[in-house]
Amino acid sequence: MSAGLMDWAGLMWMLMRALMQALVGWSDALLVALLVLPVLAMLLGFALGGRAAERIALWTLPLGLAVALAIGALVLHQGMPLEYAMGGWAPPLGVALRVDGLSAALLLTTALVITGVGLYARADFATPSGVAETRASLAFWTLLLGLWAALNAVFIGRDLFNLYVAIELLTFTAVPLVCLKGSPENLQAALRYLLFALLGSVLYLLGVALLYGAYGTLDIAQLAAAVRGSAEPAALVAVVLMTAGLLAKTALVPLHLWLPPAHAGAPAAASAVLSALVVKGSFYLIFKLWLDLLPPQYGQQIAQGLGALGALAILFGGVLAIRQTRLKMLIAYSTLAQLGYLFLVFPLVLSPVTLLAATGEGTPPAWTGGVLQLVSHAFAKASMFMGAGLIAIAMGHDRIGELGGLVRVLPVTLTAFALAGLSLMGLPPSGGFAAKWLLLRAGLETGQWWWMLVILGGGVLTGTYLYRVLAVAGFSGGESAPRPLQPVARSRELIVLGLALVSLLLGLLPLSSFEVLKIGREGDETAAVEALTQPAITGAVWP
Amino acid sequence: MTTAVVKLQLLLVLGLATPLLAALACLLRPVRRRMWRFLGLIPLPALAAAVLIVGLIADGEVGAVRLSLDPEGLAIGLVADRAGAVLLGVAALLWAAAGVYAGPMLRDSPNRGRFTLFWLLTLTGSLGVFVTADLLSFYLTYALVSLAVFGLIAHTDTAFARRATSLYLLLAILGEIALLLAFVLLADAHPGTSLDIGSTVAALGDSPWYAITMTLLLIGFALKLALVPVHVWMPLAHTAAPFPASAILSGVAVKAGVIGLIRFLPLETGAAVGGPIWGDALLILGLTTAFYGVAMGITQDYAKTVLAYSTVSQMGLIAAATGLALRGAEPAAVSLLTLYAVHHLLAKGALFLGVGVMTEAVTGRRWPVLLMAALLGLGIAGLPLTGGAAAKLALKPLFDEAGLGLLAALSSAGSALLMLHFARLLWRSERPAVSDGAFWRLLPWWVMALAALLLPWTLLPLLGLGAPETWLAASLAPTALWKALWPLLLGVAAALALGRWGHRLPRVPAGDILVLGAPAARLAAAIGAAAEALDTQLRQWQVAGIMLLLIALLLWGAVAP
Amino acid sequence: MSQITLYGLLGSALVGLGLYGLIVSADALRKLLAFNLLGSGVFLLFGVIARRGAGAGFSGDPIPQALVITGLVVAFAATALAVGLLVRLGETAGLEDVDDAPASPRSAAPEDAPGSAGGPQ
Repeated sequence: MSAGLMDWAGLMWMLMRALMQALVGWSDALLVALLVLPVLAMLLGFALGGRAAERIALWTLPLGLAVALAIGALVLHQGMPLEYAMGGWAPPLGVALRVDGLSAALLLTTALVITGVGLYARADFATPSGVAETRASLAFWTLLLGLWAALNAVFIGRDLFNLYVAIELLTFTAVPLVCLKGSPENLQAALRYLLFALLGSVLYLLGVALLYGAYGTLDIAQLAAAVRGSAEPAALVAVVLMTAGLLAKTALVPLHLWLPPAHAGAPAAASAVLSALVVKGSFYLIFKLWLDLLPPQYGQQIAQGLGALGALAILFGGVLAIRQTRLKMLIAYSTLAQLGYLFLVFPLVLSPVTLLAATGEGTPPAWTGGVLQLVSHAFAKASMFMGAGLIAIAMGHDRIGELGGLVRVLPVTLTAFALAGLSLMGLPPSGGFAAKWLLLRAGLETGQWWWMLVILGGGVLTGTYLYRVLAVAGFSGGESAPRPLQPVARSRELIVLGLALVSLLLGLLPLSSFEVLKIGREGDETAAVEALTQPAITGAVWP
Repeated sequence: MTTAVVKLQLLLVLGLATPLLAALACLLRPVRRRMWRFLGLIPLPALAAAVLIVGLIADGEVGAVRLSLDPEGLAIGLVADRAGAVLLGVAALLWAAAGVYAGPMLRDSPNRGRFTLFWLLTLTGSLGVFVTADLLSFYLTYALVSLAVFGLIAHTDTAFARRATSLYLLLAILGEIALLLAFVLLADAHPGTSLDIGSTVAALGDSPWYAITMTLLLIGFALKLALVPVHVWMPLAHTAAPFPASAILSGVAVKAGVIGLIRFLPLETGAAVGGPIWGDALLILGLTTAFYGVAMGITQDYAKTVLAYSTVSQMGLIAAATGLALRGAEPAAVSLLTLYAVHHLLAKGALFLGVGVMTEAVTGRRWPVLLMAALLGLGIAGLPLTGGAAAKLALKPLFDEAGLGLLAALSSAGSALLMLHFARLLWRSERPAVSDGAFWRLLPWWVMALAALLLPWTLLPLLGLGAPETWLAASLAPTALWKALWPLLLGVAAALALGRWGHRLPRVPAGDILVLGAPAARLAAAIGAAAEALDTQLRQWQVAGIMLLLIALLLWGAVAP
Repeated sequence: MSQITLYGLLGSALVGLGLYGLIVSADALRKLLAFNLLGSGVFLLFGVIARRGAGAGFSGDPIPQALVITGLVVAFAATALAVGLLVRLGETAGLEDVDDAPASPRSAAPEDAPGSAGGPQ
């Protein structure tokens, strides 16, 4: 019996090895497929019309997921990043793609969330045979694929101008997605989103121009090498402008004017990708700019400021989420708060204490905590928005005060909502808990107790607004079960539950598995050594 | 390691896994609708494990049954030592009894699936918290028992229950946060990666954050124990919850705070830094709570609320005793505290079931139940020969100073007064029109009542405190008898006075100082409204545009060479 | 004043004007026009950089030119998308001129755009 088991394990191991060997030769193709696959599918779908677009998109989902999985496995197997210079042209003339541990994790997150969203959206945007094709259906499927391509491009890009194109593509696909319903308020919200995002992207582009003018290259690694000693003022101006532009696209408070109205009228599936993925794309670039491109001494100077904005977002978003009367708006404001946690990573990672401790061994816990927060929030929020969509279908509205009896109408969805909520609140055993535990420890080790207070205060606010929903939905509404206005397919509920479970189970992974994330984190050691020569700026206050 | 230990490890895991698996099975609707029949059985594996482990420990074969996984040196695991195993056992007993009691109520309730699910989740956490050995598992189980209880409090879905639930959850979350922060500090002060509670607490003495860690631990556990002034949730929650849930809440869930104090305070070595200050703080807080609970309790008109205030008062006494143990480094302190907690767990659980029996099941002769309830109540005040007498004796070595002894005796008098007030309210309570499921309600009540009377005595040798006969003899010696009786007589006298002039006392609403919370609520509302107004402003296009430029300027100002 | 400085100043002026217009205009179409002005300013700066960074022998650095072309395409796409939204919005809401904020009575005429900057939209 056990011998048989051993044989099986051995066989699997051999198979895995053989698969890996085969994959190694295909790494370039896989990287290209990340971009080409969704783009081709999008174009094909667009050319062939709504019915075909849906079918093509649904076929692309497993393929894209497989590509992301294969890339993740390869990075893990090789223990080093995958790189590919397009057309064989090396930077600065050519454009390079690169997947390190962090990108691989984000690519996989994106693929999983988009797959979930795609399967969920089948019921909303299906074109059954015998029914005329609709514009919304065609638009949804092609835009979803385009958005996927844009996100992949953001996560594997190394060239700042390429990243500009990617982030613009991300905006251009996200904006129409949120106004698929086409009501005037809906269109207005989309227009506002687009215009503010454009303001941000022009600032980004201005920064790109300045950087190119200063160093003659736009490759992040080359720029990092060039600014290693000290950056030119022009480069600093450039990075500041780019950061401001990206903050506008990330909807960090107080630049959040577009996010709540955009969510208000968006289809549930669009809201899910917007909160879970789109805003993370621009955050990822900010992260790269200050942690990978510029040497840490500059990051240290703005870290407390970015942290303060993050803290403001956590508290402000939390208070406003409590005040919302519509479930969807509550989740939208909760997104603002949860985005704030990501910005606490800057003061925690860039603290001289962290940099000193991290010399030569692993990633700092705050860094891992930040990434974990990003990923677990992506799953939890996608689940919540889609759950809210189901609730709106079944109840005919999403007014929190009138959700009584929901527990008997959609028990699975409500369970998923509660589980995702556990992760947002940071209760064990969720991914959110692991993230907050790491951030708290980082706050302690770097002596920045004030961020710890913010993290914990945010937890109280999160608990409060989730309780408002769960108490009404779970406990009021009398003895008789209200009848759902429209039936909700069990499969859709299970997708929502599945995403919530992923967010929860992330907390059960042993911490060592997050060492994957550090694969390909270049310049860690040198950066840390340089930080030692700098004066300690832990207490640096906003100017 | 002997095979017996391995078997017990497995049984322990089974004991914790059973309620968890049952809770997971409840995700399926048909299972959820039928699970209520098994609520009395689900805690039994844990009970069996506890009994066998306690026996093994009492035989001196092992000090504790440990089960440790060690991924990356984190030392995640379970430990059933003497205190933990005994508490696990009596908790499982009460859970089983309350589970049986809940049956008739759930049979007719359309919301039984929901109640069952929360019941099982709370059960999992409540049993786990007594035997978890590391910070993470302790936090997980503690959070489970603290938060899942809300589903039991909210069960009746009245406006009052909603208010009680939100207050309870707010305070529970604050407690969670204090503990989370304390645990982060504990884990960080430990030089290794281990999260084992014992070794992290041992390393606490050298922690640079000693004072803040201790403060946070005390805040976290005080919220659970309902010490003044954070006791406000207790009267509301007990009044709102159904009877079996109240029994659980007051009997078991609150004991999570006791095990927390036992596990996390350096009782055997005494506080390393600051010396007696921590003990004094806990003592003063505890004694204040003990008397405050009585003072508020006698103004209440509802039997369950009175019991809730009695729990507040008793937990105050336990906190005071813990403070003394912390100060005096009494070697047997853990066992003594455990004994007291065990008695309270059994007696209070039984009393809440007793209220339920009186209001739901007994249509005929009421005096047997009432007499038993009075006996249990006076047992809490230390009536000789009851289990409570053993518990009171256990506190003696801790309150070993003249002034403190007097205070302890006075608190017994207060308990006697409060419990007689309770008995009077119970006598006056309305008879149920029909007796429904009387057998399944009366059975657990009588089992628990007898357990509360007898179990503390039988547990004495198992806790390593000596033979019951010696204790019994000591409690019946003339001086000891007088010491135990005069507070009772004083209490009886006070109760007579209360019956005569009690109507002149002001009626305090349940939750007493909660009325002072109105300004806080208004402040919160004002903050919310202000944030909303600010949000409207910030979402103006021009404002956001200017903010964007301002942020860019500030960032530039920060990095400008 | 050299040619490069002139172009640089001109580009900066366009950026400034565009930023001002984009932030203070209430009218969505005006914002869009301001965005295009801003974009032109940035492209002009790219041109300046191409000129300034010209290596030996070339009349200009080709990379910024490639970037500008791509950038123009992106800006064109953005404008097209925004105009599309504007038109749809005008059709569905039956409006003459379109604001991107939820409807509320406009206090000032479009001509007074800078003056109405502080007013509610």
